[in-house]
Amino acid sequence: MKCSAILGGLAYLALPIVLPALVTVLAPNSGAVAHAEDRVDSTTTWYQERRKGNLGGLTVVHPQLDIGVDVGDNTTLDLGYSADAVSGATAAVYSTDAVSSATTFKDLRHAANTGITFYGTRSSLSLSGNIGTERDYNSIGVGVSAKIDLPGKNTSLALSYNHGFDQVCDFDNGLATALERRPLTGQQACKKRQFLRGEDTSGDSIWRDLSLDSSQATITQNLSPSVVAQIGLFGQVVRGFQSNPYRRVRVSGVEAQENIPTVRGRAALMARVNKYMPSMKSAIHAMFRGYTDTWGVNSVTLGLGYSQYFGTSLLLRTNARIYQQSEATFFKDAFFYETEGSAGEYFTGDRELGAIRNVVGSMKFSYIKFDENGGNVLGVFDEVSFNLKGEVYLLDELPADPIEDNREGIDRQFLSSGQAVDAFTLQLGMLFRY
Amino acid sequence: MAWQSSSKATIARGGRRKALLAFTLATGFLLGACGKQAVRASEKEFLADRIMQFDADGQETAADEHILSNREGSSGGRGTGGGGCGCN
Repeated sequence: MKCSAILGGLAYLALPIVLPALVTVLAPNSGAVAHAEDRVDSTTTWYQERRKGNLGGLTVVHPQLDIGVDVGDNTTLDLGYSADAVSGATAAVYSTDAVSSATTFKDLRHAANTGITFYGTRSSLSLSGNIGTERDYNSIGVGVSAKIDLPGKNTSLALSYNHGFDQVCDFDNGLATALERRPLTGQQACKKRQFLRGEDTSGDSIWRDLSLDSSQATITQNLSPSVVAQIGLFGQVVRGFQSNPYRRVRVSGVEAQENIPTVRGRAALMARVNKYMPSMKSAIHAMFRGYTDTWGVNSVTLGLGYSQYFGTSLLLRTNARIYQQSEATFFKDAFFYETEGSAGEYFTGDRELGAIRNVVGSMKFSYIKFDENGGNVLGVFDEVSFNLKGEVYLLDELPADPIEDNREGIDRQFLSSGQAVDAFTLQLGMLFRY
Repeated sequence: MAWQSSSKATIARGGRRKALLAFTLATGFLLGACGKQAVRASEKEFLADRIMQFDADGQETAADEHILSNREGSSGGRGTGGGGCGCN
């Protein structure tokens, strides 16, 4: 790897570090407030998804490591690394006989992030940067967020903005029409000329840009000594190539690379509340989220959780979440793409753009050790915690078109597991503060 | 957009109006409490507890978001970490 490429990547990572002078000026109420603590946080998540008849499936191992270091009394520097080791098999062609086209794949993604946060007496200001790379995808992101407690410290306002400069590798289809386009097969070069920028290879592969602008505003409010609530509004605009370059869709007998719009606007509204129950040393949690976007996907999420202490060090948290969404306006069940053709110029085999419903249930055990008098535990640490979490997913595909007219049904087009539990995760985490 | 059916577009617009109205009402409700001493500092023992913090485990939240955004058509809008104890 060239030195210039490495330096280019480090420059993005260093962005939040080279701006401290500017931010020190901007940081509101930058009083000398001893704030954060040094910490090392590590979590590894294993996600396993099954498909019908063992024809397909997905395995993801996702390690994360974050380190926070205090720099002075009111500044914290954060560094983080994560990876995705992905392997599995999935349908290469979205069609009514998807089972016959399942192909295997493997990929490895590395991501790193850094951030610097300045704390005032009632406020904080953070700058962050992140990079990610895998064989066929590059990402660079920058972000800024601010938070302030209003007088009385019962109301907290937070604002954040992030921009992503991503690139996706695609087959070089030249001037081919939508139904003539061919997909990536994994054999193309997807060359990179710098650490995080792609280089086109004529007749083989090209890199397409994808930009993401995301913003969020939240209000957190203490409603009583035992109830806190939060509401938030989220918006995002995504511009650029958003298709899966490997996926094909059978449209009127032609198997072409999927073709979806290049602009997507998203908006979400969320509300959640936590209620503490002193007599039981427990808390209940409830949340709601409504979502809509310009592709016609509308969704509702409801969540309910319960946390319970056992003694001073053991914590059990359970959570249930139900989600349902409508299909994108250009999404069709595979049978109708085959018999009716596309919806205008667009066609997709992305099941996440179809009508789906899922239920997720989780249970998490935490062992937390800290000295209430501020002393050390386990040597030099102020606090240590170990977490073990298990989660099950019930994934359900709903018909996007009249099911009575669909002679092939929808149960074969996605390779669902057809079993009680479609996927699960196991998560192991450790946190050390010192 | 050309591919949007008029009926679906009308439903989506209606849904967005309701969502905006709900957000406005909820914001007004919460801001109505701004500046008032809803909870005194001496009463924040429970609010400061880790189980009352939203997204207390940042890595768990990030991993959950990572998985769900790959299995659902929607993403974002899952809130901000921390709580309302104002314990800084």
